[in-house]
Amino acid sequence: MAAEKKHAAYICSGCGLGERLDIAALEAAAKKEGKMQVVKTHAFLCSAEGVAMIRNDIDNDGVTHVAICACSRRAKTEAFNFPTTAISRGNLREGVIWVRPDTDEARETTQEMAEDYVRMACAEVKAMTQPSGNPNTGMNKTLLVVGGGMSGMTSALEAAKAGYKVVLVEKTGALGGWAAKLYKRVPTREPFKAPQDNGVADLVAQIEADANIKVYLNSTLAKTAGAPGRFKVDIAMESGPTVTEDIGAIVQATGFSLYDANKLPHLGYGKSPHVVDQAGLEELARAANGGVMKRADGKEVKSVVFVQCAGQRDATGEHLSYCSGYCCNTSVKQAMYFKDANPDVDCVVLYTDLRTPGNGEDFYRSAQNKGVIFSKGVVSEVVPGGNACTVKFHDLILDDKAAQIEADLVVLATGVVPNSGVNIDAVPAAPAEATEGAAPVVEEKPISILNLDYRQGPDIPQFKFGFTDSHFICFPYETRRTAIYTAGPVRRPMDIAQAQEDATGAAMKAIQAMENAGLGKAAHPRAGDLSFPTARLEGCTQCKRCTVECPFGAIDEDEKRFPLFNESRCRRCGTCMGACPVRVISFENYSVNTVGAQIKAVNIPDEFSEKPRILILACENDAYPALDMAAMNRNEYSAFVRAIPVRCLGSVNTIWITDALNSGYDGVMLMGCKHGEEYQCHFVKGSELGRYRLSKVGDTLKNMNLEAERVFDLEVAITDIDTLPRKINDYAAKIQEIGMSPFKGF
Amino acid sequence: MTSVVATNQTILVVGGGISGMTAALEAAETGKQVVLVERNPWLGGRTAQLYRYFPKMCHPTCGLEINLRRLKANPRIQVLTLAEVTGISGTKGDYSVTVKLTPRHVNENCTACGDCGKAVSAEIDDAFNYNLGKIKAAYLPHSMAYPQRYVIDRSIVGTPEADKAKAACKYGAIDLEQQEEVVSLKAGAIVWATGWKPYDAEKITPYRYGEFPNVITNVEFERLADPHGPTGGKILRPSDGREAKNVAFIQCAGSRDENHLRHCSRFCCMGSLKQTHYVQEAYGDAGKSTIYYIDIRAIDRFEDFYAKVKANPNVSFIKSKVARISQDKDQNPVLWGVNTEGYKRYSNPHDLVVLAVGMEPSVKGVDIPAEVMADSSGFIMADPANAGIFGAGCATNALDVNRAVQSATAAALRAIQVVNKVARAEA
Amino acid sequence: MSNANEQMAARYKNNFLKEIEEQAEMGEWVKMCMQCGVCSGSCPTNFHPGWDHPPQEIFMMIRAGKREEVLTSNSMWMCTSCYNCYVRCPRKLPITHIMHGIAEYAYRLGVAPKFQPTLHLSQTFWNNCTKTGRVNEVKLTQSLYFKDGFMAGIKKGLEMKDVALGLVKAKRLNIMEALGGGHKCKDIKGIQAMLAKAKELEAKRKAAKAAA
Repeated sequence: MAAEKKHAAYICSGCGLGERLDIAALEAAAKKEGKMQVVKTHAFLCSAEGVAMIRNDIDNDGVTHVAICACSRRAKTEAFNFPTTAISRGNLREGVIWVRPDTDEARETTQEMAEDYVRMACAEVKAMTQPSGNPNTGMNKTLLVVGGGMSGMTSALEAAKAGYKVVLVEKTGALGGWAAKLYKRVPTREPFKAPQDNGVADLVAQIEADANIKVYLNSTLAKTAGAPGRFKVDIAMESGPTVTEDIGAIVQATGFSLYDANKLPHLGYGKSPHVVDQAGLEELARAANGGVMKRADGKEVKSVVFVQCAGQRDATGEHLSYCSGYCCNTSVKQAMYFKDANPDVDCVVLYTDLRTPGNGEDFYRSAQNKGVIFSKGVVSEVVPGGNACTVKFHDLILDDKAAQIEADLVVLATGVVPNSGVNIDAVPAAPAEATEGAAPVVEEKPISILNLDYRQGPDIPQFKFGFTDSHFICFPYETRRTAIYTAGPVRRPMDIAQAQEDATGAAMKAIQAMENAGLGKAAHPRAGDLSFPTARLEGCTQCKRCTVECPFGAIDEDEKRFPLFNESRCRRCGTCMGACPVRVISFENYSVNTVGAQIKAVNIPDEFSEKPRILILACENDAYPALDMAAMNRNEYSAFVRAIPVRCLGSVNTIWITDALNSGYDGVMLMGCKHGEEYQCHFVKGSELGRYRLSKVGDTLKNMNLEAERVFDLEVAITDIDTLPRKINDYAAKIQEIGMSPFKGF
Repeated sequence: MTSVVATNQTILVVGGGISGMTAALEAAETGKQVVLVERNPWLGGRTAQLYRYFPKMCHPTCGLEINLRRLKANPRIQVLTLAEVTGISGTKGDYSVTVKLTPRHVNENCTACGDCGKAVSAEIDDAFNYNLGKIKAAYLPHSMAYPQRYVIDRSIVGTPEADKAKAACKYGAIDLEQQEEVVSLKAGAIVWATGWKPYDAEKITPYRYGEFPNVITNVEFERLADPHGPTGGKILRPSDGREAKNVAFIQCAGSRDENHLRHCSRFCCMGSLKQTHYVQEAYGDAGKSTIYYIDIRAIDRFEDFYAKVKANPNVSFIKSKVARISQDKDQNPVLWGVNTEGYKRYSNPHDLVVLAVGMEPSVKGVDIPAEVMADSSGFIMADPANAGIFGAGCATNALDVNRAVQSATAAALRAIQVVNKVARAEA
Repeated sequence: MSNANEQMAARYKNNFLKEIEEQAEMGEWVKMCMQCGVCSGSCPTNFHPGWDHPPQEIFMMIRAGKREEVLTSNSMWMCTSCYNCYVRCPRKLPITHIMHGIAEYAYRLGVAPKFQPTLHLSQTFWNNCTKTGRVNEVKLTQSLYFKDGFMAGIKKGLEMKDVALGLVKAKRLNIMEALGGGHKCKDIKGIQAMLAKAKELEAKRKAAKAAA
């Protein structure tokens, strides 16, 4: 039997609320329309005494649902902290008195605003249940690391050091990845003057000695099914059976491939064995093993030219447009291979911008000190000769367009391409029409890495240039597959030192994800959230919108083609709820009803009152704080708006808009984050999906015979503290210009 | 007396900027007890003082909001502001730490209503805005300050001004009797995330910072562009308040220079490229930016950001370390030097000069009360002996925000490794 | 191979850089330049015509192997030894000294520009000074003023007469030194022996450097 509900509203009269508002009328609103069983006012609700009053009612008076009508939900969170009780916040301070002038004329509309917010808080809390956590949890705490290079080995070791079991899967027959092919690596410690051991053997030895780490070599993932805390991963071994491991979370450290230097014939690659890429040079260095450097034909190299940014930073669209980040330091290091073995070798590095950040500057200086020549120039061509190659370039310092160098060996710094598997968002290209006589083009299809058994595709969604980074600045690890983190150069181009740091961080996030999955808690950005989506399947029409739209691939389909929620994969953005045309998806504390009830709780004055009502649905992450801070700066805005925070624009169900318009609201403002390539949505795709969905609202307006302007989609950033009130006022003016809605009073 | 609950399974995080907050949150969200110590009266550090981030041109306060919400929702983190670690003793897994707390003179009763600020007339330098303006001596440091509580500046305590503030507060939030106190706590592991400070531009004498009003630093320029800054987001010259439409950016102001900072500070190239957007945003095609540089270090995926700025006809690039700055009769700074690409001399007047000052670790020259290894630039180095003290963020290297967050996330795991070991030993 | 081809083949090779490192005072610093240009920008003479190549360009030319152009350049001779560049160089290159070093080397090779006033002054000063161990101001002035002909010398002398009279009054100039050897140090032979020894040590040092 469900415990009996008892609803209480607490109204604060402090911070000027008592002076500016008719508190008795607010109490009446809470009692009458809000239907609160308990209504109390306190002059200083957030004080120890005020909080104790609420606490006492919860503990001793059976209060289960609390509407706090005081300041913004962003304020006084330590005071109003009742973790087991459903709480709503009626925002009377930042939402009302701080954005309204303290004048006699404004008093009436300000009071109406406050009463509406009290009614809304009451209505919301009555529709809420305090969530108790996802019961469908997996308790597995084993970390799967995909890729046995420096990043993968580091993730595995760092997780093991924290006491976690690790399964490490490596495609090739040995650990070490690219780093193992390096003769030496760029130094990581002071004095940053000379190349150091590549460090692979040490890590491999540590892994072999660690009982917590199980290594699968020559193995790939045949299938990854399940959810955080309960992944089932089929590991296919090259020779041998497929093994299934139970996994809690995953770090994908699948590294990079070298950009194909064969695409650079103008730089001589493929035309002469004496033009190599940086990997080719490492091979020569390992063969030399500290002795004099020799080329493929065995001739000692007496002069070498390094061509930086070969096929990188390319503006033509033919090659890589990005910089691979590590190659300047690598060429510095490789030039040292020559100079350390024989100072008389002529080494020239041709660069446009030498990029040796941080202490790399010391390494650069050290190479200069060893006699490496650095020259700012753009290479146009490498002409292979019989015994030497000629590098033609434009010397930018001496402004010599016809500069050239002859060298025994030319090294191209070609950069990296991420091994990120299948691009699940790729639009399949239309088959090219076969031209007569031409061989059919065989497109190389990327091979999936994770083989995720997810409805939305087998790999992690990619962002720019195929890297799997979410490119969040503040939250760099957030991929769009919960508890699967990427690390190292698959995420963004990086050197070994950075990759190891990155891999440690990714292991941290994966461990955290396993722990929280076990507790039924959400991962970032709603970390710790115990709510989760549920669907009344009896009402579901199997339209699949939720399974398609979920930005995190959390929803599969069951054998009867109903949506199958994997709660542990869910990030609680509510996009599924917003997408559902039949409104069967909800969270215990956030639902079509919690918002819908607030919309209905607003008192709509009649057509002749000249008091329009404008609904604001504001993203709680950016737009709502912006409104709050506008209030802190006492930037006033129209008394006709009623703002409701939403988890994300993606969670906005069009029913809210049609209901609002049907019940006589005169306008609806949607405030969400920027979308597109430079998106600012914390749920990556949420605001974009929401906007797309809401762009269709025009048809509804047409059917209702309403003006298109009655719904206004506004992109809001958290800093729009001055502009946002202005835009609200402009919109309110526009609504007054259009006239009142004809739907009032129905 | 402030009480702090901590054991040798607690992780102490020193520094409440984005690195420290990240380390604290990642550890706490993994179920660990954390004490977060911050010297300022608010959290967020230098990122909170930035207007936008490269390369997305999004707002640092957007991420700060999320981090603050994570913090408010997490009972495992205890935050101490106006706090400085004064002593650390013990070893890995068992540290005893003393923390000095400077009085805020405002207690948890504060509702941030602002009445004390209205009552007080004394003004102090606005530290949040790099002293570019003044604020009341009873102040909320900025709109997103957390804890959301006012601060009574110590300069007015004991004066009638403080009494006015106290009298204005209806909630008994102002406590002028608060004294400095020292609290002791235990910790199993420590994350040192004290960040960086902008290199002192006055030391680069030929640039005449501090002498010519229209020569400012990159961090100050962020405040000028920010709508919450001293000019309300208008890019105006400090000398006369005129619109600064022709702005010069001088790269490597202090960095890559053995007379100043030996290292490359990494973020400043991208920072200036970003700031050219501010000029464009403010003045459209009338806003002109010139970047004087040695190498543009728009590393890895930032290259396309650089490419876009380069394609903007309102932004010019001159490969040159500016030799010196003079000032003409209208207080326009004039930059002198040589464009090394083809050797062209210039003496270019600008409305405003922004020095892209480099990053100096905050720990440099400061006694960390424990044995922490630092390199010769002052950055904390990973200790191969793996004691229980770990650097994070810009205390360890010149990093941009993205990399600082990675570093802090990694540091959180290193700290967890230590306290998990303690927990296993005690189980 | 023709001479031009040889020169081309030597481009961006270390030959000339090594030669400068071995032969020119402080030449070993040339390779450390990172082409920021602050030396050129800081040079007080730089904004006047007359320089063929500023220091950082000279350094790049050395690295590019442009031997003849560097050694015959007048740039090194334009340096006033103000040390601005030296102080500002972010790589702490002793640029003033390097410029002098290259100048001296060019002179030694006999390829320094003819009729270069700084070169003339330096040579005259050196000859004047090493002869007696003391500078004979009158003779030094004479040889400088009259280098462009008798009438030019007279004209210059008249221009400077007030300065000269002031110096005479202050007993810093003795007109009688126009005759005879002028004042000298006590041990001319000793000075000359010291100079000879210095030359010998310098030659040894350079040989050792070349061998290293």
